[in-house]
Amino acid sequence: MDSRLLFLLILLPLAGGVVNACVGCRLPRKLVAPLAIGTVLGSFILSLSCWSLAAGSGTQVTLFPWLSSAGLQADIGLLFDPLSASMCLMVTGVASLIHIYAAGYMAHDENPARFFALLNLFVFAMLCIILADNLLLLFLGWEGVGFCSYGLIGFWYEKPENALAGRKAFIVTRIGDLFFTIALLWLFSLFGTVEITAINQRVLELDPGVITPLVLLLLGGACGKSAQMPLMTWLPDAMAGPTPVSALIHAATMVTAGVYLLCRMFPLVSLSATGMAVIACVGAFTALYAASCAVAQREIKRVLAYSTMSQIGYMFLAVGVGSVTAAINHLLVHAFFKALLFMGAGALIHLAGDENDIYKMGGLRKKNPLLFGLFLVGILCLAGAPFSGGFFSKDAILLAAFSRGDGLAACLWGVGVFTAGLTSFYSFRLLYLVFFGEYRGEHAGHKLSPLLIWTLPPLALLGLFGGLLNLPHLYGGHEMLSHWLGSPSTTEPPFVTEIGLLVLMSLFFIAGWLPAHLLYRNFTGEKDAPWRRFLLQGWRFDALYEQLILRPYRFIAQFCWIAGDRGLIDGVVEGIGRTMLHWGGYIRLLATGQISFYLQGFAWGLLLMLGWLLLKAAV
Amino acid sequence: MIVPFQHLLILASLLFLLGLMAVLVRRNLIMILIGVEVMLNAAGLVLVGASALWQQLDGQVIVIFLMALTSAEVSISLAMVVYLNRRKKTIDIRAFDELRG
Repeated sequence: MDSRLLFLLILLPLAGGVVNACVGCRLPRKLVAPLAIGTVLGSFILSLSCWSLAAGSGTQVTLFPWLSSAGLQADIGLLFDPLSASMCLMVTGVASLIHIYAAGYMAHDENPARFFALLNLFVFAMLCIILADNLLLLFLGWEGVGFCSYGLIGFWYEKPENALAGRKAFIVTRIGDLFFTIALLWLFSLFGTVEITAINQRVLELDPGVITPLVLLLLGGACGKSAQMPLMTWLPDAMAGPTPVSALIHAATMVTAGVYLLCRMFPLVSLSATGMAVIACVGAFTALYAASCAVAQREIKRVLAYSTMSQIGYMFLAVGVGSVTAAINHLLVHAFFKALLFMGAGALIHLAGDENDIYKMGGLRKKNPLLFGLFLVGILCLAGAPFSGGFFSKDAILLAAFSRGDGLAACLWGVGVFTAGLTSFYSFRLLYLVFFGEYRGEHAGHKLSPLLIWTLPPLALLGLFGGLLNLPHLYGGHEMLSHWLGSPSTTEPPFVTEIGLLVLMSLFFIAGWLPAHLLYRNFTGEKDAPWRRFLLQGWRFDALYEQLILRPYRFIAQFCWIAGDRGLIDGVVEGIGRTMLHWGGYIRLLATGQISFYLQGFAWGLLLMLGWLLLKAAV
Repeated sequence: MIVPFQHLLILASLLFLLGLMAVLVRRNLIMILIGVEVMLNAAGLVLVGASALWQQLDGQVIVIFLMALTSAEVSISLAMVVYLNRRKKTIDIRAFDELRG
């Protein structure tokens, strides 16, 4: 297999996106979606058939030198190693399904070309992040996904709040991108190269004092993209976009780019104990924060958004306690079941007549039992029901935290376990509110397009059996993913610990499920309570940022505008202009339009010159 | 040379000044053109005188050219005078002040 074929992986979606962006409006409507689906599907098939290239330390190919000046050498080059290959397969696979789903979901939209062009470009940019062999190309993809996310969140930009949500997402992630940019430039100045493998091989040369700030900067970038504290406020608002976008970008792929970045740079990250601790803390507390917020949300997609944030928090925790395999395993399984949940949510919103509020749903189980079954699978995975995919991957993370052995890790483990209980609670709250009881909505639902249902079963299967990817030895598995990623666990955790954790997690699962079962099985209405409002508004972080950052910023901006721009700059510039105009008024008097007047000037001038010459001659 | 060169220069200066005064003071366009002609001829006179003084033909040749040039100039400017007269029904110089600032 020619390794240069790998480039088709990223070029196919790019070509689809460009074609749709340039001539999509003129193409027949029936061609737009199949074109987009075809390119992504092509990428998926390619990444399957290139799988063998990833074995060992992977394949590195260079298409052409991109930037090369004064020591900076950045190529358009790909690195197809076990880590990127598994990510790549997941992204293209999930993206293919979501593209097909989107063809059904957006069937009546006015602008399918713009939608699919952005979606394809997103896949291109995401694959750039995953496959890039140098940080600069990775950064290109990093910004590319940010842009596509912005364009797709604000896809229905006629509504101002959608456009605003897009802008918020863009700006907040941009804050994180700034940290990443600094880290990138710093790494370049330290090593003189931006190649990822080269940097990872030479990290030991670094002065230990430099590593911690570098790791923290990388973490800042990752936090922005992955909606972790303190840059997490954009994700719930990003749900303003179409549901396939939420499923693809804000659940399965883009938001996990931060985790991927930390895993990619893990040889560097792992050298800083402080950095690792901060990563783990950020992850654990975001997980707890988001899970608590999800408990009170009313919009179906916002519940899922907070749960995404929470699950990514787990992945950060896994990276922070040093287990890349657990992070990637959870990332993959989460991508499957969260895409499933989001796509299911999109179908449910259709089914309830474009109703987002779960308080106004209910009883949908009878309307579509198949959808109920699929959604139940997603909820079980999310809640970590024993032996579902989410159970194993979450368990592995908590096991890694537990067996780390220091005090901090133990605390974070506690937070993680408690969050798992919360997760189970809000998952089942969602399930009961949507599917059980009586239908509380006012709208009659739409009929579902078959595309909206039949794209879900593969994801449900993957989510349910995702545990097989990295089945621990305890259950007779072989930890395939660990071996594949080249980091098999060296020490087997004690049998008692593993069994104990299994029982504990099951208990917490039930502890979360029971109250949800009792409270929401026959839901009639909920009293408004201050704590509920507090959680509904995401701990009022938006208001806090408004007070802390936006208001001072607006004040400074106002000051700069009035004092600086209007007072100083306009004053000086316009003052000069006015002075000139004033004096020009006098000079204007000279231009009478009378030729004889001008000629008089000549004559007097001539006289003056002659007189001067005479005077000189006389002296 | 019978006439001293100084006298010739004085005559030429007088002629030039007269022409200049006509250009500056008169309001009639045709009179201004005549003033210009007078100034040109004053210059021609100096050329002829200098040619005679230094016994070189260049000056006289230039005067011949000058005459040809002047006739051309006059014909054009008179045509313009006619045109201007047709536009404003006057050849008073004060009527043509569109370039006033």
